[in-house]
Amino acid sequence: MSAERAMAGGALSPSLVTAAERLERRFGARLRGRTEFRGELTYRVAAGDWVRVLSFCRNAPELAFDQLDCLLGDHLPERTEAPFEVVVHLLSHAHGHRLRVKTALAEGEGLPTITGLWPSAGFDERETWEMFGVVFHGHPDLRRLLTTDDFDGFPLRKDFPLQGTVGGRIRTDLRGKV
Amino acid sequence: MSDPIAQLIFLIVKAILLPVLIVLFVAFVIYFERKFAGFFQARVGPTYLGPWGSLQSFGDIFKLMSKEDVTPARADKPVFKLAPYIAFIPAFLVMAVLPFGPVGGEPNLFGYRFDYVIANFDAGLVLFLAMCALGVYGVVLAGWSSNSNYSLLGGLRAGAQMISYELAMGFSVVGVMLMAGSMSLVDIVDRQAGNFWDWYFIPQIVGAVIFFIASIAELNRTPFDLAEAEQELVAGHLTEYSGMRWGMFYFAEYVNLVVVSAIVSTLYLGGWRAPLEVLDFIPGPIWLFLKICVLIFLYMWIRWTIFRYRYNQLMSIGWKVLLPLSIANLAVTAVVVSLVG
Amino acid sequence: MDAGHDLPTPDAAAGATHRPTQEELRERKARTRRHLERTGEVMTLSMGPQHPSTHGVYRAVLDLDGEVVLAVRPEIGNLHRGVEKLCEYRTYHQIIPLTDRLDYISGFAMNHGFCEAAEKLMGVEVPDRGRYIRTIAHELCRLANHILWLGTHVMDLGTQTFFCICFRDREYVLDLFEMLTGARLTHSFCRIGGVAKDLPDGFDQRCRKVIDFLPKRVAEYERIIKHNRIYYKRAKNVGIFTAEDCYAWRVTGPTLRSAGVARDLRKDEPYAAYPEVEFEVAVEYNADVYDRFLVRMKEIRESCKIIRQCLDNLPDGPFLAPDAGHSLPVKKNVLRDPAAMIQDFYQVFRGPQAPKGEVYRGIEAPKGEMGFYIRSEGGSKPARVHFATPSFYHGQAVPALVEGEMVADVVAIFASVDLVLGDCDR
Repeated sequence: MSAERAMAGGALSPSLVTAAERLERRFGARLRGRTEFRGELTYRVAAGDWVRVLSFCRNAPELAFDQLDCLLGDHLPERTEAPFEVVVHLLSHAHGHRLRVKTALAEGEGLPTITGLWPSAGFDERETWEMFGVVFHGHPDLRRLLTTDDFDGFPLRKDFPLQGTVGGRIRTDLRGKV
Repeated sequence: MSDPIAQLIFLIVKAILLPVLIVLFVAFVIYFERKFAGFFQARVGPTYLGPWGSLQSFGDIFKLMSKEDVTPARADKPVFKLAPYIAFIPAFLVMAVLPFGPVGGEPNLFGYRFDYVIANFDAGLVLFLAMCALGVYGVVLAGWSSNSNYSLLGGLRAGAQMISYELAMGFSVVGVMLMAGSMSLVDIVDRQAGNFWDWYFIPQIVGAVIFFIASIAELNRTPFDLAEAEQELVAGHLTEYSGMRWGMFYFAEYVNLVVVSAIVSTLYLGGWRAPLEVLDFIPGPIWLFLKICVLIFLYMWIRWTIFRYRYNQLMSIGWKVLLPLSIANLAVTAVVVSLVG
Repeated sequence: MDAGHDLPTPDAAAGATHRPTQEELRERKARTRRHLERTGEVMTLSMGPQHPSTHGVYRAVLDLDGEVVLAVRPEIGNLHRGVEKLCEYRTYHQIIPLTDRLDYISGFAMNHGFCEAAEKLMGVEVPDRGRYIRTIAHELCRLANHILWLGTHVMDLGTQTFFCICFRDREYVLDLFEMLTGARLTHSFCRIGGVAKDLPDGFDQRCRKVIDFLPKRVAEYERIIKHNRIYYKRAKNVGIFTAEDCYAWRVTGPTLRSAGVARDLRKDEPYAAYPEVEFEVAVEYNADVYDRFLVRMKEIRESCKIIRQCLDNLPDGPFLAPDAGHSLPVKKNVLRDPAAMIQDFYQVFRGPQAPKGEVYRGIEAPKGEMGFYIRSEGGSKPARVHFATPSFYHGQAVPALVEGEMVADVVAIFASVDLVLGDCDR
């Protein structure tokens, strides 16, 4: 059937193979893992390499990921030493390929912001912070985005209950500050 | 009964009857505005109250009167309450100088002379311009006293807009004044006696168009409805008003619409005069009424058809197009009048 | 077909609207910021969440210097429903009705995107007829979205009449949806492995009638709007957002295409029946509000073309994959066929069994690129679902778009990038 169907079988696009080789040549053993699934390539990196890897992804001509498709958080409670993950999906308009980069974080650990690389990460990082409690250092405006300002807890963590009331009352002392 | 007493009785009757008739008419103007808007928009408009929904406005008035009147906590209360009246009253005052039929001449009613004008005032045109300017205060004060940013912006826009368009309006009116040699609206209509080609809209076509455009801005209607631009400023100066206070602004807007239409027809379309002398057997008030209806329809048509200008575009039209044009029109008129007359 | 097309655009008025260069735009924005820092004399206007033209409950706190916008602080989240959390507690079939509440203007596109992502995860093949029906529904939904967009956009520029006319025309598309899916906005029509129902009797004929006259209507819209002097003045060279800006802020869809980038996931990463139909990617080059309008008008024409081709070449066969492990059975067979009944029980009570893994699938929703991320740890429920919705990023880009423009342009630009708050807040 279509090329897309074939891709779903697992083959990486040629430009992505070149990009992956370039990335591996640059960082080598510092990449913590490589996964291929349904034609999508995922790299794991250490939190310390986060900005270095991503800025390489953005700037190297073979990779040229000029758009951040999305940044999201994830919570894997069974992984006790580093239960949180931050995942970015990158897209290159020049080559038409996509890449996923993720890093694992322990509770209370933060990441440097990547709003300097892609301004569109601003809202995503705010959302990840409010939903998972992952702090992004250097973010220009790290406030709650989707929930109310007095919301208590990080709702997308797996241990957060689906039902119940948290911070449901309206606070008047916040008037004029928002 | 001597003539002065008869005149006094006539005056009282006119002074009561004319506003009442106009208010009644305005109720139907509002209905027609909604009905026409419906037709323009592939809808049907109001249908419930009365035949074809024709009593809708009266229903609205009762609804507005029964609604709670909210005054914002931090508003400037006296001014906030005064503003609707300041917008409302000037609109009515202009009616006093508006001729709706022949003035002077032979006794025509029960052996007495009935003048079809409340006050044959020499400076009627000045009164009209003054009342237009006064109406702006209602809008500006409403915007300022509401203590809301939307209202304030609306009030500021209204102030700036009306002042800049009043200039063009005033200059275009002076052309008519020069041609008629009078500022009395009665005299201006008398000078346009004859057939429709004697009306001032032919020699003063530039002035007439400028006056019409400026009057749209005076009336705060699309494309110049920046003061209450719904999509930007919610309702501009009206944002904080509710109930009958809001209703008064709304009503004043339509009274103004009727009055301005009457002024346009008086200045440029021969007032109460028939378009052809052979049609003079039909009374003057009916002709004036028909002309007002046509003009009101024109205003509605424009309102429901085109887009709104941006603030700076509105200003540049007012100052860079209309004002120079109206001054040029005035200069040409002055030269021609002094050469011919 | 469209007389409006031949008329020249009112370029005579172009003298009145100077097109600012990149440097000038940057300078304008820098100047407004400097003014803000230096004087601090600003009027703060809280636009929204209850405001006639924030298209829902978007809140933009504007810092104004008179009529000029110095800075914008966007506030979203008033319509946040926690869809991503809800998804973690539901099977893949049960998530489908949640997705069309995201962008409720174009519900089917959301259903479709999620199903594409789930199918990619599970490796389900959609039968040809299912793919074609999906394409038809997806394009109908693009029609509905763009017509509604036009109405609201034009209303934001001050004419209410056109809003009603657009709603009248959108009604024909919604009637088609009602006929096809039984619902007008939130269809929940897509299924993993195909669609819920076959095309009903008479749909073909009625659909053709609609897509025959819609291009004529588009020509009529263009006669009214494209050549309107006031619209031209209000929209031309307003809200310029170049391709680089679009990449940086992840602004996609018609806004990106109006900046001269022929980027369309229907072509670039094709799905459903898009590889098999012919259509053009609508591109304009001026990157302003006016060109976004032109792009959407072109897209309406192209959508009509796609639907016509799909109706012409509609293949026979099943519309839902006969994949007992992952997709629901055809509904009408459930009470007749024992195998279908077992499959139904299995799918409803146990859910589709997905492998362990994670996928990201982007589709070209009417508002822009919509990304669906699913991470599965096996089983019938996803471990994490994320919706990278276009409106979310469009809402974020609003400050970059409107700073330095005037208040009246804020609503015009805001409408021109097209966002809906259900999509933005999730």
